[in-house]
Amino acid sequence: MQEAILNDLKMPYCPGCGHTVANKSMSKALADMGVHPLDVIVVSDIGCTGLVDPLLTCHTIHGLHGRAVALAMGIRMGLEHPDKKIIALQGDGGATIGLQHLLEAARHNLDLTLVVQNNMVYGMTGGQTSGLSSTEFKEPDRPEAAVPGYDICALAHNAGAAYTARTFIGKDTAELWKEALSTPGFSLIEIVEMCPAYGMRKVQELHDTADYESVVTRNTRTVGLPHRMTGRSLLDGLKPIEHTCEAPLDGRLEIIVAGSAGEAIQSAGDLLSTAGITAGLSATKKGDYPITIGTGFSVAEVILSRQPIHYTGIDCPDIMIVISQDGLDKVRSRIGEHTLVIADTKLGPELAGLAGQPGLPGPIGPNGLPGPTGPNGLPNLVTRDFRKTGGSKGAALAAIAHWLQDNGFLPIEALIEAAGRHKHGDKMKVIIDKAIAA
Amino acid sequence: MTTVDERMVFLDGSRLIIEAMARAGAGAYIGYPITPVNWLFAGAKQRIPIALEAPDEITALQWAAGFSSSGVFPVTASAFPGFALMIESINMSFMMELPMVIILAQRLGPSTGSATTGGQGDLLLLRGCISGGYSLPVFCPSNLNDCWDMAAASVHTAVNLRTPVVLLTSKEMVMTNQNMDISGLKEVERAERHMHEGNGEYKTYGVNGNLAPPFLPLGNDLHQVRLNSSTHDMEGITQKNSPEALGNTERLKNKIEQSIDDFTYYDHDRDEGADTVILTYGISAEAAREAVGLLRAGGEPVSLLVMKTLLPVPPRIYELLASYAHVVVVEENIVGLLRELLYGNHQHDRIHGVNKIGHMITPQEIAEGVRQCRKPS
Repeated sequence: MQEAILNDLKMPYCPGCGHTVANKSMSKALADMGVHPLDVIVVSDIGCTGLVDPLLTCHTIHGLHGRAVALAMGIRMGLEHPDKKIIALQGDGGATIGLQHLLEAARHNLDLTLVVQNNMVYGMTGGQTSGLSSTEFKEPDRPEAAVPGYDICALAHNAGAAYTARTFIGKDTAELWKEALSTPGFSLIEIVEMCPAYGMRKVQELHDTADYESVVTRNTRTVGLPHRMTGRSLLDGLKPIEHTCEAPLDGRLEIIVAGSAGEAIQSAGDLLSTAGITAGLSATKKGDYPITIGTGFSVAEVILSRQPIHYTGIDCPDIMIVISQDGLDKVRSRIGEHTLVIADTKLGPELAGLAGQPGLPGPIGPNGLPGPTGPNGLPNLVTRDFRKTGGSKGAALAAIAHWLQDNGFLPIEALIEAAGRHKHGDKMKVIIDKAIAA
Repeated sequence: MTTVDERMVFLDGSRLIIEAMARAGAGAYIGYPITPVNWLFAGAKQRIPIALEAPDEITALQWAAGFSSSGVFPVTASAFPGFALMIESINMSFMMELPMVIILAQRLGPSTGSATTGGQGDLLLLRGCISGGYSLPVFCPSNLNDCWDMAAASVHTAVNLRTPVVLLTSKEMVMTNQNMDISGLKEVERAERHMHEGNGEYKTYGVNGNLAPPFLPLGNDLHQVRLNSSTHDMEGITQKNSPEALGNTERLKNKIEQSIDDFTYYDHDRDEGADTVILTYGISAEAAREAVGLLRAGGEPVSLLVMKTLLPVPPRIYELLASYAHVVVVEENIVGLLRELLYGNHQHDRIHGVNKIGHMITPQEIAEGVRQCRKPS
């Protein structure tokens, strides 16, 4: 004879409560199946169903209201012993507050059993009705036109539960428990009970309502299990960046690259950063883009510095590379008096239109040639047809290559070497070569 | 040029945090997508043996608790909106004494605020998130090195004390790429749970003079395990307010507070001539480091104290602060959460703030804050 899962403690429930009968059915089913108590984990919810723990000789875990099924899923996914039985016990209140968890358990079809002891009432807190209450439920303050309850068995079945059953407490439910516990996958039994303190007084009344009927449904599905993998180190796969050349840069240079989604702006920022590191500099890069990743602006902020970089923010950049209207619209306000703007030709007229405003670049000529020099002695607006050189996905890189070639902050070899590390390195090198030649 | 041992790479804090936690023994990552923890989730999918997508943050924490009670160390990550949903389940895990790490990446609030703007607005939320006022251990990385070290410390502290731990970071830390020589990263040891051994009596919350009880997983073949989120005795049985149960609850406070020296982390850059200290944490620490350089270069002495253990507040922090005439607290919020945590609502004359929202605080703003506080009023 297998050790009993119920100990000798007196049941804490009111006389006539269905929970007493349900717990005895659970015990009988497990004993008949020959399951040892230490092979059972009962996950109990809040409410009268959650008073069961002290009565049990198996493993118990008593959590939050409505979360027993989610907790049971976590246990099943963590346990290395598929033979252990996991039983979640909830009332109708717990089942409805945690309805999403119930559907998720059915969808995953994890091997566990949920028993919803539906006595149609929040018995501990004054007899409020729940989402599983019968329309016939006799609650004094209940409106006449009661909202029908959920058919929780149908919901679970449609979500993919391997086994669902509804029964009434007057019957011996042990056979249903055995069926549920021996069905691989997610099983649910709804036991329609009575709370003797509230509502219906006779078992017969339950049978007479049109709200519930006994059902058994099944889905034939693969039992869910979490995928386990042998993780690979996130560091080992990083190819070290060799310091192979020198940059003349002595201080800190703040660069903004701005364009549109899909124009490889972030890749260009990464490449520029990598080039800086190749040339012995410190580098940081952060991206900015709208939550709709596939449209709108894309901005990369890059800092290169001879010294270690602590503060990674840029207010008013030294260099701004802009290749699209989206990008310009996003960063226009950050152009400062000392900012060198390197822009695609199409943006030239607008940038020229900004001339004369304090803190903005000077005018460009009608032929798109650089305008007057800025305070740092460099021309503060350069426009070229970078899209022609690099295409939409290579325009930012072309602009970077052009800029480096022009001013020598970094040796162009550093950019070429950085491109060589990239999976599209060959294409990038072609763009860099074209930009240099142009 | 590159030295023989150097391994210079370009990476973000998310990668370091996940890798360090994996090495420390994280066996499951349960995520619900939210910016700015996107890269943590992506890294976990490559690195952590079980990486799952939960349908919501309540589920994420419940699954985490289930994993932890089975003996698998779980990690999850979110920002404030998701963290708010997790709080009841974090309380549950705290009460059940289930080790786990929750990474909270701050962004601009209140509410959904701005998903892609950084912030430091959640410190007092963490201080008050456990009903009863108990402190969770909270760590906060101030740079890439800390992402590694504090991630490992989070897992070890969670395991040693059998408690949820929060790693508080921000968008700027986990979504900014920086160069780093990773050859200098410390070795991370695997955190091993203190297990109950033998066939002798086992009570789930029996501590035998220790601060945290030895562990056995649910489903083990030797002893009944009773985990309980309600007030419970040492066996794990629900009690209303029996002396044994209240004693057990009091132990939850004591086990963390009495161990604080074991997990106190900070950087103190003392300038012997300074009467002023900049006190900060997280992303503002990097700006403060530059501010210290600016001030000292200008002949203005100043010290810097960067807190990496934020909660419970280590007594050592008060000892260090006591030696300065002025404390300038720098944090990216406009309320002064760390100031309030340390000094209450009554603001002392010697306590000053540099605060801002929507943008990172700059080194220049911090330097100016230090100069202002020294001016006679």
